[in-house]
Amino acid sequence: MKRILVLFVVFGLLFSSSALAYTITVAQGADAVTLDPHRTNDLPSARIMRQIYDTLVVQQEDLQLVPGLAESWTQLDELTWEFRLRDGVTFHNGELLRASDVKFTLDRLRDPAFAATPAFLVTFIDDIVVVDDLTLTITTKTPFVPMLSHLAHTATSILNEQAVTAAGEDYGTRVVVGTGPFKFVLWETASRIVLERNPEWWGGEVLPSQIVFRPIPEGTVRAIELETGAVDIVYGLEPLDARRLEADPNIRIAKVETLATHYIGFNVQKPPFNNPLVRRALNHAIDVDAIVEVIWRGQAVRATAPISPRVFGAHPGLEVYEYNPELARQLLAEAGHPAGFTTSIWTNNNPLRIQVAEVVQAQLGELGIDVEIQVLEWGTYLADTAAGLHDMFILGWVSVTADADYGLYSLFHSSQFGDPGNRTFFSNPRVDELLDLGRAESDPALRLAYYKEAQEIIHNEAPWIFLLVTAEENGLRANIEGFVPHPAGHHRLYNLVRN
Amino acid sequence: MLQYILRRILLIIPVMLGVSVIVFSIMAMTPSDPARLMLGERAPAEQVQALRERLGLDQPVIVQYVRWLSRVVQLDFGRSIRSGRPVLEEILQRLPATIELALLATLVSIVIGVPIGVLSATRPNSAIDHSATVLAFTGLAMPVFWQGLMMILIFSVLLGWLPSSGRLGGWQHYVLPTLTLATSAVAAITRMTRSTMLEILTQDYIRTARSKGAIERAIVYRHALSNALIPVVTVIGLQFGGLLAGAVITETIFAWPGIGRLAVDAISAKDFPVVQGVVIMFALTYALVNLIVDVTYAYLDPRLRTRYE
Repeated sequence: MKRILVLFVVFGLLFSSSALAYTITVAQGADAVTLDPHRTNDLPSARIMRQIYDTLVVQQEDLQLVPGLAESWTQLDELTWEFRLRDGVTFHNGELLRASDVKFTLDRLRDPAFAATPAFLVTFIDDIVVVDDLTLTITTKTPFVPMLSHLAHTATSILNEQAVTAAGEDYGTRVVVGTGPFKFVLWETASRIVLERNPEWWGGEVLPSQIVFRPIPEGTVRAIELETGAVDIVYGLEPLDARRLEADPNIRIAKVETLATHYIGFNVQKPPFNNPLVRRALNHAIDVDAIVEVIWRGQAVRATAPISPRVFGAHPGLEVYEYNPELARQLLAEAGHPAGFTTSIWTNNNPLRIQVAEVVQAQLGELGIDVEIQVLEWGTYLADTAAGLHDMFILGWVSVTADADYGLYSLFHSSQFGDPGNRTFFSNPRVDELLDLGRAESDPALRLAYYKEAQEIIHNEAPWIFLLVTAEENGLRANIEGFVPHPAGHHRLYNLVRN
Repeated sequence: MLQYILRRILLIIPVMLGVSVIVFSIMAMTPSDPARLMLGERAPAEQVQALRERLGLDQPVIVQYVRWLSRVVQLDFGRSIRSGRPVLEEILQRLPATIELALLATLVSIVIGVPIGVLSATRPNSAIDHSATVLAFTGLAMPVFWQGLMMILIFSVLLGWLPSSGRLGGWQHYVLPTLTLATSAVAAITRMTRSTMLEILTQDYIRTARSKGAIERAIVYRHALSNALIPVVTVIGLQFGGLLAGAVITETIFAWPGIGRLAVDAISAKDFPVVQGVVIMFALTYALVNLIVDVTYAYLDPRLRTRYE
């Protein structure tokens, strides 16, 4: 009996997934820029960094915030939060996680001399004080309740002070040290990044022994690699490829609504867009459903609010502006433009946005509105829209923290004109008040109420033509289990099983 | 001959200086700010300005250029603005992949293009000649992008013989990108070989050799081809230089980790140090390829050899 039991245990261990060595290969459209979370804000890099690093707070796939490296936190007063770290967490270089590492990380992120790319995520921090090896306090400049969702972003991944200091300029390319489920092994630029299992990970069992990320820029080739089994997972399938692969029994499509909203903005400081009647009229003049169907080909849903429905605080039930050219004509006449007017729409060199501009030009042309399309280089586009030189423009916004504060404040608060995000130069005192209340209020129910009212005003004032929320379609081989896509695009891979 | 080669090598330096000035000027004149591109749309203006100062982008263009040049003469090409990696390291990591592909494609194009060109010239207006002409023009007309995807569809998806992308994993990964890249080069070399051979085969000395009873094979390959190769070598040299610099579409389709994609990404991001480094590398390569072509001329044509000496 004993021998049979021992045999069972041995076979169980032999065939349990953790004892098996298997590699998961993931293809995405671009190589990482760097694996230093402070030097970049691009998605390909963030997707890889999500496997290597941990954050104080974790935002799960259902966008719930749960303890990460911080096992607990307490709000001591309206400006001060105390974080207690998990004991016994080690970095990949063997160093123990200490509060000093957290202070080092956040200080480096917000240091103006370092000029970190995602520094805007932590501008709310006033000071960080190390209380003991496992305890620290963060003081904010003003009451800032969304802080926890900011501390779940990959940009706030906790770094090892010793490793970063020793590596200097080479950190993020040759030296990469985190606490995450996978350790960095090698990076052959434009070819592959290899990560290996971290058996000491505090978060649980890491199932794959290795993850390989491959950059494959051409979308169709990415899909072909999935079909032939050369890769196990493809992030961001192109619409045509996703439709084709749906019929393949060896492939599964995992679709997720993202946190990204696309919109057409009006410069509300400039006539005729300073008149809300004109803005509402144009909302009725554009067939947004057709844009979603024809241009995004199923990889988007129509936006019913200024932010993605997955974001905390998104309005649950705003009515869309129905496509109604007759109503649009009527509103334009009431606004004093029965014969239309001349205007322009700006976009950057994004093929989808250019197509949107063409649709807008055609549909507004039917109302006598003569729209000139201007395609600008990205840097110039940002600079000139920040300066308010535009009439209409097409842009997107990703609520990366999945909190309404991030999705609304920068876009609609009157203190955020220009570069910070409010390129419509929208200004409404009640919206300002509600957004300020929303970021200071700790009661979630009250926050929801504030954001609901703010979105109703924004919707009515229509500084945008509200377009769509994008959906990402990821392809997987059918023998891969455990993949749950994250709306932010940073999919976690530590519990993937290959059958 | 050695003196000639050394002189040509020294002449490369002013060429590269000139190229670097032109590229630096063009990059400086293009709109948009690399600091803003790096920090993104959310960054406040003060942060963008702080980064510009840190990177030296707030200095006049001439000052930036002189600083860059003073580092380059010490073989310090600086670091990539985007990744922070040393520029030389970025280039040296990617260069072998492009050189491999360019060399293989050039070799394939010579091995296929020259014999077919000779065959066409020695059998003018025959079925072989017409077939070679059709194939050559098809090769020239086919867009690289379309051709690459079609080859992947046929050989990777339908037949399952070859991998569809990447460079790691064996010689099989080289086949499709090499054939894709070689197609237009084969076409160009075929046409040039045919054209020059046809001209040479009508020369008096060829008629003399025939009338002396020399065998046709010797006439074609010993008397005619060595003279016909001189302009063909020029085409080969130009093709190789072009393959090195312009393989970006092939590299994109096949996810080939070469220098073309590095250049395009760096230009889009206004990563000045990388763009400058890549352009200098391209200029050096072109100059060296031209030198090799000229030395090959001397080998093929004794009259030139004497002149160089």
